[in-house]
Amino acid sequence: MANSMSDEELMAQVRSGVGEMLGLLFERYHVPLFNFYLKLTGDRTASEDLVQEVFFRILKYRHSYRPETAFRAWMYQIARNARVDLLRKRRPETSLEPEMSPAVAPVDTAQQSQEARLLHSALMQISEDKREVLVLSRFQDLKYEEIAQLLGCEVATVKTRVHRALQDLRQIFQQLESGKALRGKGPQGRWPAPGSVQ
Amino acid sequence: MNCEEIGELLPDYLQGRLSADHARVVEKHLAECATCGEEAALWKKLALLPEEQPSPAMESRFKAMLESYQEGRWEKSSLAAEKTKTPVPMLWGLGNWRQLPAAGIVWACLFLACGYFIGNHADRGTDAAAQLQINEMRQELAATRQTVALSMLQQQSASQRLEGVSWTTRLPEPDPKVMSALMHTVRFDNNVDVRLAALDALSRYADRPEVRRELVDVLQTTQSPMVQVALIDLLVDLHDKSAMPQLRRVQQDPNVNPTVKKRVDWGIQQLN
Repeated sequence: MANSMSDEELMAQVRSGVGEMLGLLFERYHVPLFNFYLKLTGDRTASEDLVQEVFFRILKYRHSYRPETAFRAWMYQIARNARVDLLRKRRPETSLEPEMSPAVAPVDTAQQSQEARLLHSALMQISEDKREVLVLSRFQDLKYEEIAQLLGCEVATVKTRVHRALQDLRQIFQQLESGKALRGKGPQGRWPAPGSVQ
Repeated sequence: MNCEEIGELLPDYLQGRLSADHARVVEKHLAECATCGEEAALWKKLALLPEEQPSPAMESRFKAMLESYQEGRWEKSSLAAEKTKTPVPMLWGLGNWRQLPAAGIVWACLFLACGYFIGNHADRGTDAAAQLQINEMRQELAATRQTVALSMLQQQSASQRLEGVSWTTRLPEPDPKVMSALMHTVRFDNNVDVRLAALDALSRYADRPEVRRELVDVLQTTQSPMVQVALIDLLVDLHDKSAMPQLRRVQQDPNVNPTVKKRVDWGIQQLN
């Protein structure tokens, strides 16, 4: 029965102290959240840590959840903040922390087509803010209005950014394709400095 | 339409949110213009990137966290029982006590104190005296808890400091020393979870004017957006209109975090 409850109903229960309901929200969202982080950072371990952090914060700030607000938007807000906090915490120590730079290739490389690998590389090379809107709109199925609310900007800005992201993606993807044809090798070692992250 | 105009429609087209007429216009352009066509094709191609699965360890970590949360709640409910001044649940809290390294010495002292009181009790034996002794023991226990809480709040590890915060919530009547330690934690702890937990603990005493004043001050001085958001929520929950000037100052701060800005806008609206 609880399974048919909406996210908002479940979260309202969590808010009022029924912690078990968070288990259902975890079931619904841990994979999407993990993929959100993974596509942003390319780092599996960091992504798993961040997902854990999100659910920890959901519990911690359960009282700040307003039942009339969409749970998903609230959750992604927490997810973004958790990541910003992590970046802020790590940056002063070492700006070239390996986990902050994009992964060289996804884990199941062998099964992936060449094209998918190049696409993944290209996605990792566009700027962080563009990659974020692309990931949110393409993979997390967020509407532009939701993303605008999340980022605190105009809907038009989000759309422009999505378009620019695709333009950049196209250029980098083409470069990678032609580079690969020239060298007959993958694009290893051509990553941008991680300082480009926001 | 040129590429620029199509570019404006493209994001809506890709999410399938254009009217049929507009969609046709875009499609016609995509068929004619290689560059725009490739951009749209890339959007579709992104489907090649598979949805990845996290390691199974993640689920067990989550379950462990949830469990410890639920245990935490159990502690809280036992605290509520303690507040009704029945002596039995008070001993309940002692169950976890011996597990704390910092509490080792104080635990031993407490045993001594118990021995002393029991000895005395046997000597005197009147009800009034027994009641007095129980009260003294209570005070002793509260003082010990306070010492533990204060010492844990200064630990290196964030989880121990968190534990320290939760100890403060077991004090029936925290004294100014504990309050100021908690306030210091809210302001300066380098771990956001510890800061928020301390804020949570302090919010129980937000009806005290001196606590309220300090919290409102934190709202302006803290660098932590999460703490600010939690504080705004707290002030709204308390319907504290006296915080309005500070809220407005945060609202007008040009450097304020956008999330905080949104929250403060919302908070001001709620309080008005």
